[in-house]
Amino acid sequence: MHHAETIDIMQEPRHLERARTVGHQALFVGVAALGAGVAVALFGGKLDGFLKSYLVSYTYFLSLALGALFFVMIQHVTRAGWSVTVRRIAECITAALPIWLLLAIPLIAMAAKIYPWMTQTLLSPDMAALVEKKRQYLNFGFWAGRIVLYFLIWSWLAHFFYRKSIEQDSTGDPKLSHWMHQRAAIGLVLFAFSLAFAAYDLIKSLNPGWFSTMFGVYYFAGSVQGFFGLLIIVVAWVQSSGRLPRAITTEHYHDMGKFMFAFTVFWAYIAFSQYMLIWYANIPEETRWYLSRQTGAWAWFSVFLLFGKFILPFLFLISRWPKRMRELLIVGALWILLMQWCDQYYLIMPAENPESAGAGQLPLHLNDLLCFIGLGGIFIWAVTQRMASCSLVPERDPRLHEALAFENY
Amino acid sequence: MSSTTGTMTATSAHPKTHAKPVSMVLHGLLAEFDDDHKLVAACKKVRDAGYTDWDAHSPFPVHGIDRAMGISMTKLPIFIFFCGALGTATGVIMQWWMNAVDYPFLISGKPFWSLPANIPVIFELTILFSALSAVIGMFAFNGLPRHYNPLFRSERFKRATDDRFFISVLASDPRFNLNSTRSLLESAGAAAVERVDDTSESEAPPRLFIWAHAILLCLALIPIAMIYRARNAPIDYPRLHVIFDMDNQEKYAGKQAANPAFVDGRAMRLPVAGTVARGMLRQDPALTDGRVGDRWLTVFPANVTIDDALLKRGQNRYEIFCAPCHGFDGSGNGRVTDVARERGLGWVEPKNLHDEDVRLRPVGHLYNTVKNGIRTMPPYGDQISGESDRWAVVAYIKALQRSQRAAPGDVPTEKKDELNNRK
Amino acid sequence: MATIVHEFDNTFEDPQKRPPLVVGDHSFHTVTEAVCRINESPTAPALWWIIFVGGVALLANLGAMIAYLFFTGVGVWGLNNPVGWGFDITNFVFWVGIGHAGTLISAVLFLFRQKWRTGINRFAEAMTIFAVICALLFPGIHVGRVWLAFYLFPLPNQMGMWPQFRSPLLWDVFAVGTYFTVSLLFWYTGMVPDLATLRDRAKTKIAQIGYGIFALGWNGSARHWHRYERAYLILAALSTPLVLSVHSVVSFDFATSQLPGWHTTIFPPYFVAGAIFSGMAMVITLAVPARVIYNVKDIITLHHLDVMNKCILATGSMVGFAYITEFFVAWYSGNNYEWFTFKNRQMGPYWWSYWIMFTCNVIIPQIYWFKWARTNIPLMFVISLLVNVGMWFERFVIIVTSLHADFLPGAWDTYSPTWVEYLTLAGSFGLFFTFFALFLRFLPIIAIAEVKGVMPRKHAHGHGHGGDGHGHLEAAR
Repeated sequence: MHHAETIDIMQEPRHLERARTVGHQALFVGVAALGAGVAVALFGGKLDGFLKSYLVSYTYFLSLALGALFFVMIQHVTRAGWSVTVRRIAECITAALPIWLLLAIPLIAMAAKIYPWMTQTLLSPDMAALVEKKRQYLNFGFWAGRIVLYFLIWSWLAHFFYRKSIEQDSTGDPKLSHWMHQRAAIGLVLFAFSLAFAAYDLIKSLNPGWFSTMFGVYYFAGSVQGFFGLLIIVVAWVQSSGRLPRAITTEHYHDMGKFMFAFTVFWAYIAFSQYMLIWYANIPEETRWYLSRQTGAWAWFSVFLLFGKFILPFLFLISRWPKRMRELLIVGALWILLMQWCDQYYLIMPAENPESAGAGQLPLHLNDLLCFIGLGGIFIWAVTQRMASCSLVPERDPRLHEALAFENY
Repeated sequence: MSSTTGTMTATSAHPKTHAKPVSMVLHGLLAEFDDDHKLVAACKKVRDAGYTDWDAHSPFPVHGIDRAMGISMTKLPIFIFFCGALGTATGVIMQWWMNAVDYPFLISGKPFWSLPANIPVIFELTILFSALSAVIGMFAFNGLPRHYNPLFRSERFKRATDDRFFISVLASDPRFNLNSTRSLLESAGAAAVERVDDTSESEAPPRLFIWAHAILLCLALIPIAMIYRARNAPIDYPRLHVIFDMDNQEKYAGKQAANPAFVDGRAMRLPVAGTVARGMLRQDPALTDGRVGDRWLTVFPANVTIDDALLKRGQNRYEIFCAPCHGFDGSGNGRVTDVARERGLGWVEPKNLHDEDVRLRPVGHLYNTVKNGIRTMPPYGDQISGESDRWAVVAYIKALQRSQRAAPGDVPTEKKDELNNRK
Repeated sequence: MATIVHEFDNTFEDPQKRPPLVVGDHSFHTVTEAVCRINESPTAPALWWIIFVGGVALLANLGAMIAYLFFTGVGVWGLNNPVGWGFDITNFVFWVGIGHAGTLISAVLFLFRQKWRTGINRFAEAMTIFAVICALLFPGIHVGRVWLAFYLFPLPNQMGMWPQFRSPLLWDVFAVGTYFTVSLLFWYTGMVPDLATLRDRAKTKIAQIGYGIFALGWNGSARHWHRYERAYLILAALSTPLVLSVHSVVSFDFATSQLPGWHTTIFPPYFVAGAIFSGMAMVITLAVPARVIYNVKDIITLHHLDVMNKCILATGSMVGFAYITEFFVAWYSGNNYEWFTFKNRQMGPYWWSYWIMFTCNVIIPQIYWFKWARTNIPLMFVISLLVNVGMWFERFVIIVTSLHADFLPGAWDTYSPTWVEYLTLAGSFGLFFTFFALFLRFLPIIAIAEVKGVMPRKHAHGHGHGGDGHGHLEAAR
């Protein structure tokens, strides 16, 4: 209705205990799938293939959690009012970040199998000479240390904003909001550098000869786009479980849809700029990265990504009504989540050398699915355990009333 | 003029200086409100009373008035979407037609139709068309510009753009009744209600206005006519030089007059005696010119060693500079020749290097041809610079010639097996 | 008159309150009065005359420099081979960058529902338009033979040949041309209701007719407002990608090449951040004196300045992030030429320009982490000037240091601008300030209708959104 009636947040059902059991089931399925994946890899003797599949889903779920961390901080730094009712759910999603540090252990332990710069003998003589020049940066010890450092930064930021927010639930102290506002500004600076360098270290260095200054921004754009897809799904799940029925309205879905649309366009802008500049200048050491992705079946995959991650969502979300129709918006959000996974697949899977045998083939494997289910199960477990343990809305946030009365114009 | 009472008389006697009095007719009623909340409340009442030909006026957009008045969502966004799509299509078709169809030319190896490079202009035109349609569409749907409005006759209405809120109900509304409508507006909380009159006939615009427009229109056509003439009419006088010294430089070239600056009257100085121009030091004419005296060399000069490296180099130079016309195998079927044949352009076909006269030429003659050209073939001495490169090309040509009429004995033994196995 | 004379601190840090966007005891009428009296006053303030006369003098100088350039040729500039772009393109990119804040404030902040934009959007938009005019001047004149400038547009030349659409320089024409058109539309559309206000208040026949023609007969109809708001929202949604595209396309002029220091993929977003950064600084440069001259401190409040300074901090840090990324990747690329160019920027013959750029753009704005700096008016004025200097040098660094020493050491040369170039740069400011002074004198410098929409009074009656400004107004008194 036009005049939003005053909602008493204390009357809203805002605890979702069921999440805990859902999480346990997801964890069980996830661990089983990962185990099956390892077994397939060991019997098939293709451990490097398994690790690459693992890395795809690893960076995928990581991107969603980082998107959530970015969302939480940007809401604090801009003192946003509209988003208070959905902010706690984003805080819960960041719970996956410390777990992801643990899941980095197999990656670090077996990194030499997929990061060609770690094993000099795998490289062509030219490439080995080039990598040698970067040895101060590209060496195992520093690399592993950096990965741990990024996760410490993220986990600390995620923990800080979650803890202060929970503290406000009990004390209702408005000073905490101000405190988080200030910390978020510093947090965003740390976040910008750590995310960009993590993208270089985890993904870009798979092709040690290739470089692009845009790469960190590219990973960021996809992360936030995917995160809004996830946020819409989780909010819809919470509401379908009968929680927060009146606190979150069509207006909030509309706004989340707008942001998903905005970041769809932003991703396309970044992806186009990176592609066009490399295509236009046509410098061999840069174009070879795209050449691997335009050879054989990968060319079709690139076109699929262009349509799936930009053109279709753009046309779907540009109008007002799909953003305000929950069922349609959920379909769109699921599609965006799928495409963000495809984007990670596109970044990680193609062969480093476009001339090598099998460069034009999509290395689709059962392990892609098993790793997705496995890491997805663990991700859901991490998020749901936190969701079960707290109120799903920052119930004494000083700007909550704005979010409850929020209306789009 | 219909009779009016109370506050309304002031309005109909609006100070307009006309030569002859104009009769006035009722236009509608205007109600004034103190603030936006009273306006919204009143709008609901007018809407519920079933009026259609009425409007609210406020100095800023009032929140929630759309619903209070029953205004349905405008179709403007759909119009803008289609105009934007038209912009996209314009960008695609324009660039494709201009660069890939009407006048294709090659730039930095990019395809004539290169989509990544065409996206920026497509995008800009999409935005341009959408934005123009948004503004033009908005004003057109609003019936603006409409500089004359009977409501402007009301002195009170001037505050509609300052701090007052109004509802106007027009006499053309089927439910309009001077008394009942007035009492509805008053009961809805109006601070004041007044009637607004309009002239019964539309006034012609001032004559000056018409003339000014006609003259401006004519003036606007002059540049177009001038451009049309400039592009189509032949002229017999030299073109205009905007910057004189770009076309007419102050130099003595071609003037056939003595230069007073120097005693010998020359415009240019002679080089110092004994100067040798770059590449003109011919100490060994056999190497640099391919001849000794008047006789062409028949064997390669002594300091040119024919080996694998020289032939590789010769092949490399040949394929860059010679193959476009003479073809990779030397038979005269290069890409340029092909195109010239396809298009039927009249041009002298390049020599087939396997013709007998070419085969029998001394190597010195071939060298000279590479360096200085022959008949219509231009000299390549500047591009294939250095004696060794030119001799390498000659050596490669000799190798090509031999390859076309090779005897079995010419094939090296290790290659023979390969040939025998091929079948 | 309800205007306040002293600064009123409405930069609340208390999360329970939203700062009021109009302070002092204002009604709708006094807001109209506060803005319209600037245009209606028969005399202009002394400072206005200084800006106007100074602007016209510099503009005359610009005309002289351009005439000298046209009749003598581009040799009057210090350009050489290899530095074929110097002050001309530096000034072009500088002015286009300035022109980004207007649309950012009008469009992007509108989409983000940042209501504080209403106080400053009108003259930020005006600034945009004048800056884009200054920018458009330079590509126009740098070609030397200006009578062939028609070839910038999709018209065939005497051989029936069309322009080359695969060239980023032609994209520029479309991007900046579209940007100018759309900014003008946006500015004008926003101004129509205010022109109607001036029309209805006009006392003289000339003012009535002048404002009346451009007000298009606007009468505040709710049906009109309905379509107007929709169109305005869509224009904002169109301008947001547009504003991103314009400076991205400008960055393509450099980044599509193969020159070290130019060819880097982060250029598009980095140029956009830098553009917004410099534009915001220019808004501060103009807003600080304007609010004093015309005493509109209660509409362009300390809160507005505080928030803009935060934007400067954010965009300045983004620019710093891009500098560091570029520097790191130049090393990481393992490419000798790339790495040389970046070392040459810091330690080569133009080291001073690099360090001016880095200090002004990255280091100095960091002081805005502190609130006392964000709310100190003399300090912010100085910093805004320094940021403008820094951003001018950023373009100088990118253009000159990359060109003067490229792949072939035998072709290296340095560039020293001539007096004509210095005076042309100064003249472009004359063009800008002449237009800006005329705007201040004759057009509403604040979006009257929009400010009325966000006034605290309006929310006092319990309208849901926007917080309880009423409580604040009480506190403000």
